[in-house]
Amino acid sequence: MRQEFYKTLTSPVWLVILVLAVVLPPLLPSYYLHIVILALVYVALASAWNIVGGMAGQISLAHSLFIGTGAMLSTALLLKLGVNMWLGLVISAIISGVMGAMIAWIDFRFQLGHLSFVLITMAFAEMGTVIVEGWDFLGGASGLLLPQDKGDFLAFQFGGGIGAFWVMLVLAIVSILINVAILNAPLGYYLRTIRDNENAARAIGVNILRYKIAAMVISAMLSSVIGTAYVRYLTFADPYLLVSPIIIIEVVLFATVGGLGRAYGPAFGALLLVPLGEILRGKLGGTLPGLHYFIYGVVVIAVILMSPRGLLPLFEKWFSRMRPKAATSK
Amino acid sequence: MALLEVDKVTRRFGGLVAVNNVSFAVPEGEILGIIGPNGAGKTTLFSVISGFIPPSDGEIRFAGESIVGVSPDRLVRRGLVRSFQVVQTFADMTTLDVVTTAALTRRPIREAIDYAAHVLQRVGMAGKELLTPATLSLQDKKLLELAKCLATDPRCILLDEVMAGLTIAETEAPMAIVRELNSQGVTIVMVEHVMPVIMRLATRIVVINFGEKIAEAAPEEIIKDQRVIDAYFGEHLDA
Repeated sequence: MRQEFYKTLTSPVWLVILVLAVVLPPLLPSYYLHIVILALVYVALASAWNIVGGMAGQISLAHSLFIGTGAMLSTALLLKLGVNMWLGLVISAIISGVMGAMIAWIDFRFQLGHLSFVLITMAFAEMGTVIVEGWDFLGGASGLLLPQDKGDFLAFQFGGGIGAFWVMLVLAIVSILINVAILNAPLGYYLRTIRDNENAARAIGVNILRYKIAAMVISAMLSSVIGTAYVRYLTFADPYLLVSPIIIIEVVLFATVGGLGRAYGPAFGALLLVPLGEILRGKLGGTLPGLHYFIYGVVVIAVILMSPRGLLPLFEKWFSRMRPKAATSK
Repeated sequence: MALLEVDKVTRRFGGLVAVNNVSFAVPEGEILGIIGPNGAGKTTLFSVISGFIPPSDGEIRFAGESIVGVSPDRLVRRGLVRSFQVVQTFADMTTLDVVTTAALTRRPIREAIDYAAHVLQRVGMAGKELLTPATLSLQDKKLLELAKCLATDPRCILLDEVMAGLTIAETEAPMAIVRELNSQGVTIVMVEHVMPVIMRLATRIVVINFGEKIAEAAPEEIIKDQRVIDAYFGEHLDA
């Protein structure tokens, strides 16, 4: 039945949605375009995080470190040393990958359980915040301001609004496709086996350390690249936004609500919750400040209670119930 | 030369000696049975051989090479695989996914999926490919343990009580699989509590009590051995 569901996604309906997604945004008012871009940023981030958090089942809070490195370091390299931001993107991604490998190695070497892993990665994220705030090279507590985006592609400039939309659309799709590819490759099988039962995984020949590192490195590098693109869109490299624990908690939340471990789950969650959060804030933030957080919280709790594995599995179930014939005849 | 040689292996946990100076050798193609009362150290011995727990002392050789300190996943690639006494569960994978992972040890992904389906069929689990292991019956869970081992194309399988908890009728299927595997040249070392099973399958039996090997002989001789009767059968017959 799951296949049926995705067959529908590849049907004309899906193509129409895709075409609309491509055609509509340029026509949108800038406020709504901003929401769309923000949603795409989180689709990309949640999908990148899913490789570690969903497939390997390791709730990493250290990803704000990778997003932050991608954003702050590439910005600092450009402003302080005049390094082209494309090169900065590559350098940041490599450094994020190395940090990811180290964290995965520490997890393996000291046999951290799930809870210890969460706490250790949180400590790493916190260290990242402290380092950025205390180091002037990375902008310190006041952050860094990128030069105006004049649309010079070679200087990693995409011309603001619409340009940022295209970049984020590409990153979101790439991030999702990497998910699909991993899930269908041996790595996906290894990661899911590690998540479900580490000892049993070793007993059937899975090298735990190698694949935990692989997952973390891919996920960290991807998050870093998204971080670089995101800061280019924001123009202002704000450490309290980009290296704070808040960004990673949002990512974990969207991924969980959408459906952990699935190729489209985290993307689904982000597409749903980012616009919801933004619109609630826009409508209620002025009149009843704080209420939008409340409603948002209630929605999230309701979703998690209704379907602990996320919304996507729930929709799959509804779908197969709506079309029992199609599901049984296969 | 024996395929698997266990040479004076000892494993201590603090002051407790779980496995004490145990030696035996398994020639290629044999079915060796290991029996002993509960808590005799059989599962610890398996964990030591399969690389999950390092031995405190002693030497283990597989195909002539020392395997002390070699990780379980490397041993699987060399052809030594174990099953677990406590059936392993997987929260969010199908039986086909789990067996496919095992098959990836030696095969590219497409082949591994086909081979996993074939192995599931071979152990009698056709039609259950898309079920979650947690929803399987105990018998099927045990068969899945076998299927996981099989899918890695082993030279030697360590089976830890794959028949425990099954009725005599239910043991027929796994017994037939073990025999068939053995006839194809796979060496088998099995820990088993179900006496009729081990007496019929094993060509030789090692008896362990309080971590020590107390006897090693053919099944028909083992049941006559007074030490074995005292240590193992005696307490059951009296009860």
